[in-house]
Amino acid sequence: MTRLSLLSALLLAISFTAFSQKAEKPLRPVFAAYTVEAGTSRLADTYLTPLKYNGWHTALGYNRYQAMRFDPSRWTMRLHANISLDRTNNPARNATMWSMLISADWGMMHKWRPSPGLTLALGGSTGIEGGVIYNNRNGNNPASAKGAWTIGLTGYAALNLRLWRLPVTLMYHPVLPVTGIFFAPEYGELYYEIYLGDRSGLVHGAWWGNRFRLDNLLTADLHFGATALRIGYSGRILTSKVNHIVTRHFTHALTIGISGEWLSINPRKGLPEKAGIINAIY
Amino acid sequence: MQRLLIYLSVMMTLSLASCHDIEEYADDPRGNFEALWTILDEHYCFFSQKGVDWDAVHDKYSRRIGPEMTREELFIVCADMLDELRDGHVNLSAAFNTSYYRAWWSDYPQNFSMRLIEHNYFNYNYRQTSGMLYGFLSDNIGYLYYPSFSQPVGEGNLDNVLYFLSSARGLIIDVRDNGGGALTNVETFVSRFITEPFIAGYISHKTGPGHDDFSEPRAFTFKPAAPGRIRWGKPVIVLTNRSTFSAANNFASVMKNIPGVRIAGATTGGGSGMPYSSELPCGWSVRFSACSILDSRRESTENGVEPSPGCAVDMTPADYVAGRDPIIELAITLLSE
Repeated sequence: MTRLSLLSALLLAISFTAFSQKAEKPLRPVFAAYTVEAGTSRLADTYLTPLKYNGWHTALGYNRYQAMRFDPSRWTMRLHANISLDRTNNPARNATMWSMLISADWGMMHKWRPSPGLTLALGGSTGIEGGVIYNNRNGNNPASAKGAWTIGLTGYAALNLRLWRLPVTLMYHPVLPVTGIFFAPEYGELYYEIYLGDRSGLVHGAWWGNRFRLDNLLTADLHFGATALRIGYSGRILTSKVNHIVTRHFTHALTIGISGEWLSINPRKGLPEKAGIINAIY
Repeated sequence: MQRLLIYLSVMMTLSLASCHDIEEYADDPRGNFEALWTILDEHYCFFSQKGVDWDAVHDKYSRRIGPEMTREELFIVCADMLDELRDGHVNLSAAFNTSYYRAWWSDYPQNFSMRLIEHNYFNYNYRQTSGMLYGFLSDNIGYLYYPSFSQPVGEGNLDNVLYFLSSARGLIIDVRDNGGGALTNVETFVSRFITEPFIAGYISHKTGPGHDDFSEPRAFTFKPAAPGRIRWGKPVIVLTNRSTFSAANNFASVMKNIPGVRIAGATTGGGSGMPYSSELPCGWSVRFSACSILDSRRESTENGVEPSPGCAVDMTPADYVAGRDPIIELAITLLSE
């Protein structure tokens, strides 16, 4: 009887613990933003031309934040994807150079709340990017392919405030690759040689001395109910020099889009009564 | 946290120092001249082979540059400077003119008249497909004229042409006046005349801006045509003249080293440098040889591919008047033996 009582107590304790954990498991809503960018582009690639081209830049962006599962109150993650198209002209405006790039990076950040309304986060990220710069006047060297896998630093500063009665979230979010690998042909190497099978020396280790990229995203989310209007600035600095080939790509753009928090709930299970909600950003 | 901020500040400072500069030139006569000279200085691939002292060339033409000169005057000086390279792949293009070094062919007999061949050898009775002209000559010799490697060649077209000519004793491939085009078309053609992978040549590209910064020549191989495609195993003679240039010159250099193939006519025009494009601040574009292609013996063909022994022949004015093409006549004789 004593044994049975002990076993019952143990089972009760285990089930209570399990119930408590289930009940306290926080909900982690996703904060997502869909944006369109439009602005200016300054582009140069000495594999194609020694001149600096200027023109317009446009892009589609997607940002997704969510608190991490393992320590949701202190850690958050961010997924960022961007597809851009730039059209630039040479100084004489008789040649056009296009840039088509796709990039995505995923980062995990630790959050601090130094004061009410202000959240700082800092962490690491990894990203991939690929694309091509194409100059329509060149014959055997019309394109310069771009590709990289990087590991870097990321973080953000988010400030909640009110503009009159409108809740606003200001956010600054940089991404700074530190190292990784990237693609570049040799100084005068033809892509025809790569096509014929010469694939040696195409991948290079990246560091800030031969490849520097900094993405800056400054946004204001104007909260109109559940959905917010996102407006802001997006800027990218990319400069590289390898095998005496210099690439420089600077963009400055206004961004506009929508953002908001979304929570997936299983309709069969419903919303747990005691569950806390942990915001992805704050 | 403080340490982290200090670390980030240091790294950001270092990153500013890592900005990679590109030399800029003013859009005036001096700036455009210097930009053109520098582009060639850093990228042209035949300075040493041709013995061109590019610094001396700069001094020679720099004196002719003045701040008040017109674009036309500047173009003439720049074009004259580029002619020092003696390279048919070097052109300067402006809206009003394109410079062209012509002495590589203008100083030689033309050795070719398509009208003469059409009239006297085919009586205008020939077949055409995919840019190729073909038919039978006397003594049951097949003839195929391919005027430009810029014209894409379909595998099906080649099958039909070679099948039609399959009863011939031998084949003449005429690439006279063929100014080149795409090397991929060269491979398409050559693949019909080989039975196993064949080292077509070597490529050496520049690895830096120095005149002698070159990569180790790397072999490139052509594969035979896919199973089911028609391949040619009978004797072949490739006809060339001085206007056989660039990709056509490459075709001649590859075919010359295939067993059973001979080159007849005159030395080709060369043009073994793969041309690159660049541009000047004023918007003019410049094309130049930037990457050297060697033949399968690792020898440059920039100065042309010579005919096979005993196959060198020119077409004299008397031949023109007589309506006779001695290069075709020689090929027919050789293939009939």
